[in-house]
Amino acid sequence: MIELTSVKKSFAKQEVLKDVSLRVNDGEVVVILGPSGSGKTTLLRCINFLERADSGLMNFGGNEIDLRKTKKKEILYVRRHSAFVFQNYGLFAHKTAIQNVMEGLTQVQKKSKADATKIAEDALSWVGLLDKKDYYPSQLSGGQQQRVGIARAIALKPDVILFDEPTSALDPELVGETLEVIKKVAKSGITMVVVTHEMSFAEEVADRVIFMDGGVVVEEGKPDEIFYRPKEERTRQFLSRIMPVDSYVI
Amino acid sequence: MSFNVSSFLESLISAFKYAPVTLELTAITFVVSLILGTFIATIRHYRVPVLSQFFAIFVTIYMGLPMMVALILYNLIFMTFYNDFAEAFHISVQISDINPIFIGFFALILGTSCSISESVRGAFRGIDKTQYEAGYSIGLTKFQTLRRIIFPQMVPILLPGMQNSLIGLLKASNLVSAISVIEIMTGALLPALLYYSYLEGYVAAALVYWIIGACIELLAAIAEKNSGKYLKRTVG
Amino acid sequence: MGNYFSIDRFINVFPKIISNISVNFHIVFWSMLFGTILAVLVAVLRLKKIPVISQIISVYISFMRGTPLLVQMMIAFYGIPLLLGSLFLNVFGINLNRIEPVIFVEIAIILNEGAFLGEIFRGAITSVPSIQTEAGYSIGMTGAQTFSRIVLPQAFKVALPHYGVDLVGVFQNTSLVFTLGVVDVLGKAKTLGAATGHTLEGYIAATLVYITFSLILKGAFLLLEKKLK
Repeated sequence: MIELTSVKKSFAKQEVLKDVSLRVNDGEVVVILGPSGSGKTTLLRCINFLERADSGLMNFGGNEIDLRKTKKKEILYVRRHSAFVFQNYGLFAHKTAIQNVMEGLTQVQKKSKADATKIAEDALSWVGLLDKKDYYPSQLSGGQQQRVGIARAIALKPDVILFDEPTSALDPELVGETLEVIKKVAKSGITMVVVTHEMSFAEEVADRVIFMDGGVVVEEGKPDEIFYRPKEERTRQFLSRIMPVDSYVI
Repeated sequence: MSFNVSSFLESLISAFKYAPVTLELTAITFVVSLILGTFIATIRHYRVPVLSQFFAIFVTIYMGLPMMVALILYNLIFMTFYNDFAEAFHISVQISDINPIFIGFFALILGTSCSISESVRGAFRGIDKTQYEAGYSIGLTKFQTLRRIIFPQMVPILLPGMQNSLIGLLKASNLVSAISVIEIMTGALLPALLYYSYLEGYVAAALVYWIIGACIELLAAIAEKNSGKYLKRTVG
Repeated sequence: MGNYFSIDRFINVFPKIISNISVNFHIVFWSMLFGTILAVLVAVLRLKKIPVISQIISVYISFMRGTPLLVQMMIAFYGIPLLLGSLFLNVFGINLNRIEPVIFVEIAIILNEGAFLGEIFRGAITSVPSIQTEAGYSIGMTGAQTFSRIVLPQAFKVALPHYGVDLVGVFQNTSLVFTLGVVDVLGKAKTLGAATGHTLEGYIAATLVYITFSLILKGAFLLLEKKLK
């Protein structure tokens, strides 16, 4: 569904993505792990053009896109067939939960208000927040805001949902309920690319894990291959630092 | 100490009679400047090539020009060149038939647009980058994001500044008296010229301005109460 | 442009006009000096919330902020001799009607600044988090020490940009003083224009002078603010 070839990106003099190629197949849940500064978030943001890569190719749903000179139409196409879940929730501050979910439905997918309301309410109840539909983001906890963000994403029925460290900004006690919802999304069969630190989540739900470090893909494979039989030294070092023996991060 | 109360009252009535001129000047200038100022600020915020550099230089320099100097200069240029201009473009309107208030509008709009553009630029800085990204991520165009996501959130940020701008504009409109436009102050003085009761005239003018300013503050307070409901944090 | 504008006349008139900038600076200096002192007083009085005085000051601030400066200057010019004329004559032997108009201009600006700067100072002082004051008390400092050593320096940093903008505003407002017969840059342009019959060069010169000095003043404050970071 998405194929990235030789993506390069520098910020000022710093090369953040050195030459990244990867593939995401239809219906797959791909988790990208790595230390901070590895470029994983930048890579994710390059997919839906929140960052513009310096060079490389992307095949998105069959469309070949040159990342060096991407046309506006191509960018809009990708953004209208994908959804992004932000680390800091990214909810429209001046709109209620349900208005947030409806915004894309009415303005982008040109659905009628009635249809949009129905879809939005279904999405909100799917994440367990129908009773908070008229609340503003400032009236919701971090975990609730994140779940609204997820509802907004799934309501659009995108081809792929991109998650940028969805639980990193949450208080520890709120991480669990959010992860449960993300797992639910994964089980529904939609294609997902998730950048995260949550190892147990990755283990439970990922079809494939990609380990990035220093702007390159170091290793990729099935979860238990990566976690328990890593081939690369860098992978081993990273895992040993964040996975204390016999404890899971919940 | 002698303060002639009846002259004062006559001046007061005369001042109120000319208040519509001031109100018209203030209101129309404000609305037009709001639009122009927002336009300029948006151009500069999105770094539109050529235009944003032009406006940056223009606004910076223009804000060094006092309103009084601007009014007198524009008035002079108008008086000097109008007849030649009218001849060249075959305009039959006589210079004496043109109301100098237009020069007033021109100077006030130009100046107020510049200062409002600075306020709007400040408001842009108050909006988190993520709001733009969230809009783009669901497929909204730049224009849609600006209109539906960014601008609405700038309104509560701008309200206090706009109140100050409006009152400042109210007071600046007083200066059109220097180019022969009769507004509140010169209106209040019309009876005074007969009786040499200048003080009474000026005090009456001050009172009328004060009252109008107080009304503006009242309206602004109501507006501020009704906006930005979504900004109140109720969950830690 | 034909006869309307001549470079020669412009070059001739420019030095004469710019030399009157000393009048503008004189007014700005003295008005800001006394205006700042008055503003500190006003800010402190408002912060202390003394019963009757607070109300009087509120009315004073509302009046100064709600009425145009030109009107205020005229009220000072006509009103002060009327109000205090006999007092000054009998007690000090000064005839207020003979005093130079520039004094009344400065009084109006000083009163104006007392209100505007007063609010700026008050805002800056209240913007310093109360925890700073609490910290001062907690190590045993007196109220005065805490205020002058902890709060004031921080408030100063906050107030400086606004003070700078205000000062440039006062400079620009001196363009009003010609209405009371004070011959500043603009006033000189007017008198020269009336005398020679050629007004355009003078006003353009005045425009350039005002813009240039406004930008210089603004730049000076930006440098100052940068230095204090």
